[in-house]
Amino acid sequence: MDSKIKTRLMKRIESIVGPENVTVHETDTVLNAHDAWPLSEAKIRAGESLPLADLVVFPASTGEVAEVLKVANEMEIPVTPVGGGAGTCGGTLPIYGGIQLDLKRMDKILNIDHESMLITVQSGIVGIDLEEAVNRHGYTMGHTPTSLRASNVGGFIATRSGGSLSSLYGKIEDLTLGLETVLADGSVIRTKAVPRHSVGPDLKQLFIGSEGTLGVITEATLRMFPIPDERRFRSMAFPDVHSGLTAIREIFRHVTPSLVRLYDPEDTAMFVANHFDVDEGDCMLMLGFDGTPAENDLSESKSVEVCLSKGGKDFGEGPSKRWWEHRYDMYYPNRLTTSGYAIGDTIDIVATYDKLENVYYAMKKAMEEHDAIVMSHFSHMYQNGGSIYMIFFTNQPDAETAWATYRRIWDDGVAACLREGGTMSHQHGVGLSRTTYTEGDMGSAFDVLRRIKKVLDPKGIMNPGKLGLGVRD
Amino acid sequence: MIDPEKIPSQVRMCSACPKMCRHVCPTFFAWRSDSPTPHGRALLIHQEIKGTRQLDERGIEVLYQCLECAHCLTWCLPEIDIAEIVEHRRTELVKEGRHPAGLTSLVANVVEHHNPFGEAHNARSDWIEVSPKKGKRIAYFTGCTSAYREKEIVESTVKLLDSLGFDIVIPDEWCCGSPLLRTGFIDEALEQARHNVEVLNSLDVEEIVTTCPGCYRVLKQDYASHGLKLNSQVSHLSEFLETKIKDLKTARIEGKVTYHDPCHLGRHMDVYDAPRNVIQKVTGRKVVEMERHADNAMCCGNGAGMRLLFPEKAKAIGNERIRQAMDVGADMVVTACPFCRNMLASQSGDEIRVLDLPELVSLTLEDE
Ligand SMILES: Cc1cc2nc3c(=O)[nH]c(=O)nc-3n(C[C@H](O)[C@H](O)[C@H](O)COP(=O)(O)OP(=O)(O)OC[C@H]3O[C@@H](n4cnc5c(N)ncnc54)[C@H](O)[C@@H]3O)c2cc1C
Ligand code: SF4
Ligand code: SF4
Repeated sequence: MDSKIKTRLMKRIESIVGPENVTVHETDTVLNAHDAWPLSEAKIRAGESLPLADLVVFPASTGEVAEVLKVANEMEIPVTPVGGGAGTCGGTLPIYGGIQLDLKRMDKILNIDHESMLITVQSGIVGIDLEEAVNRHGYTMGHTPTSLRASNVGGFIATRSGGSLSSLYGKIEDLTLGLETVLADGSVIRTKAVPRHSVGPDLKQLFIGSEGTLGVITEATLRMFPIPDERRFRSMAFPDVHSGLTAIREIFRHVTPSLVRLYDPEDTAMFVANHFDVDEGDCMLMLGFDGTPAENDLSESKSVEVCLSKGGKDFGEGPSKRWWEHRYDMYYPNRLTTSGYAIGDTIDIVATYDKLENVYYAMKKAMEEHDAIVMSHFSHMYQNGGSIYMIFFTNQPDAETAWATYRRIWDDGVAACLREGGTMSHQHGVGLSRTTYTEGDMGSAFDVLRRIKKVLDPKGIMNPGKLGLGVRD
Repeated sequence: MIDPEKIPSQVRMCSACPKMCRHVCPTFFAWRSDSPTPHGRALLIHQEIKGTRQLDERGIEVLYQCLECAHCLTWCLPEIDIAEIVEHRRTELVKEGRHPAGLTSLVANVVEHHNPFGEAHNARSDWIEVSPKKGKRIAYFTGCTSAYREKEIVESTVKLLDSLGFDIVIPDEWCCGSPLLRTGFIDEALEQARHNVEVLNSLDVEEIVTTCPGCYRVLKQDYASHGLKLNSQVSHLSEFLETKIKDLKTARIEGKVTYHDPCHLGRHMDVYDAPRNVIQKVTGRKVVEMERHADNAMCCGNGAGMRLLFPEKAKAIGNERIRQAMDVGADMVVTACPFCRNMLASQSGDEIRVLDLPELVSLTLEDE
């Protein structure tokens, strides 16, 4: 950015948020640049530099966000919203410079409505802080992504994130009842919090998953649930993916567990067999049930009956409970995953049951062709289908080969997913890592998104380059 | 002390961690930015080692914003000790003459007056009255903060130890060196340390007792790691009182009492139970724990030069800790550190009473 423009911009932003809440220090732009995109992380380890913002701005209110956007829009400065900065797709990387608008200071709980079991918060509240706050009142948010400690509500909503108990509670798009969003020109729009409505299309859904490309989410009204009396676990080993999936489909015809995860043979070998005596090649199904003891008795016994009839071997609560208690562990860096030019990622696809198994095998085959270890689990399951975490890992002798291999695995993995009728993301979003695949995934519907973008953000200032929108040459 | 050879691999790993411990970092709480965070600090050092980018003035500031509370370590599966890594880099920065200017007066005060406040040395303990007793002879190392700023701690400790029949000696102590060691001024700290070792070793005492966890850690650990040997055992008052728990009485204390773990006593020295047991004996009830307690306790915000360099942020952290105590309905917060007492009392308003451990225990004497 031209230094004269930068000085002018800085002055105007300072007068909105106060000088202590905006920084141009290179150190701050470096430390705030990246989210948890594995490619950024690998590049950091390798000593490479990432794209930097010119300014990082920390607003405290919707009013300040609106004023900042007005200035940015007038001066045609790119704005990249930042939530917790723990997204996995490079969504917060300011690839065209400009402003990073970091919402972490907007962390207030504005209202708890006990009658309607709703809570209204500013979007910068961190997931764990929100969960602990509602726990004190006997509620849970029902949203349990493993990024709960780092990500915030705005980030959850902007990426359509999902917790590991989404089978029962739903994803964030099911948990969000009302939204306040600031558009690129600084206008503030609010969608009313109602359980259901029939007044035209549900406009809040336009912003849920918009990844900062259509506006800045500043406030949300979210559902709460009473903390369940009991969370119970059960585990079953199946001889293959097919029998495990058959059991899952059947379970959903009768009951709704909170947790449903089926590990393929490789993932079972890696994360389950080191603690439990599982036969080689078996697939571990982990189930969880939230409810009263009587409700759980019913759901569990029905699920067990289904599993045993489909060839399941009972492992009791062990593997499932252990996973729940250690669910954060695998995300910490360790020697293996950070050595040399090691890089891995997760392609979190989703498909209906009629396609799911084909998607799995096609992707596995395509990804394994690139010198990668691939292990997977069916991670979030529903009545009609579910998601697969297609996890890959590769280690190459130099950076160039590593980053190129990484890209090829993505290209071929996503292509296989789309070819077999899947969708490329269930919950992580698109960001930068998948931006070039967006049109391919959405097909003809992408044009609607492109047109909406043109109307809401004619100057293209909002998070350019992400979600397939505003990619510059 | 950390092995410097391990630092490059550790900061490399941490610099790109998906922020797994950030939610407990008090400086992240205070600034709400990814700069003053565990992985942020690691990233600065990693880039420097890799040659990607040199540490600039702002980078140095970010390293000096660390409270060295080690809360991040509690949450770090690969056990990367950011406090130790930061302290090591600070030591080098001091050698390079690149430490923040705001610390200069602190260092000069300690060198000249043997306390960080620049108070006269002869006023350090001339006001403390002890009377000879028949019992075990112990040295009471008060530390600077209690000697000059939190005198109630000294008064109640002396009264208490006296009532238990101990023969108290107040040594001609200098600053233990903690504020200098933690901010990287090793040489100046060791000058203080050598004086203290000489004085304490010249005393005919069976044990050295201190009420300050900062002093406790330095006397017990840092002196030894710099080859300085104390002849008598060093105890924190909480441990010392625990061994005399049978002699302690129970006082009539209304309301809920919680305990705030000082970082230097808890996470750095692993003393968690002794203060709790003493409180339980004195109040007759178990401590009401805050959600974040023991090795997961939040720092009070008063550590490692923070209050000197960034007073508003330090207070915001202290204020949050008081809020956490109020969350569990506490009427009283007991701590075992003059720094924590000072910070928490400054933020407690009228709603909650803050006492240091000896102040609480000496309430049993008032009842008599
Ligand atoms: C260890 C780890 C575990 C994870 N586990 C899960 C999981 O279980 N489930 C899951 O769904 N995801 C998971 N993720 C991915 C990720 O954390 C989530 O997708 C999360 O929703 C991102 O939130 P954030 O606040 O970190 O967003 P950020 O990374 O800050 O931002 C994500 C995107 O949203 C935009 N954005 C952020 N805030 C706003 C706002 N207020 N208004 C408009 N746009 C905004 C940003 O510009 C960016 O494009 C995990 C990530 C990590 C690192
Ligand atoms: S200290 Fe540990 S948990 Fe925290 S960021 Fe570094 S590696 Fe991650
Ligand atoms: S030692 Fe404390 S202040 Fe420093 S990085 Fe760790 S948690 Fe933050």
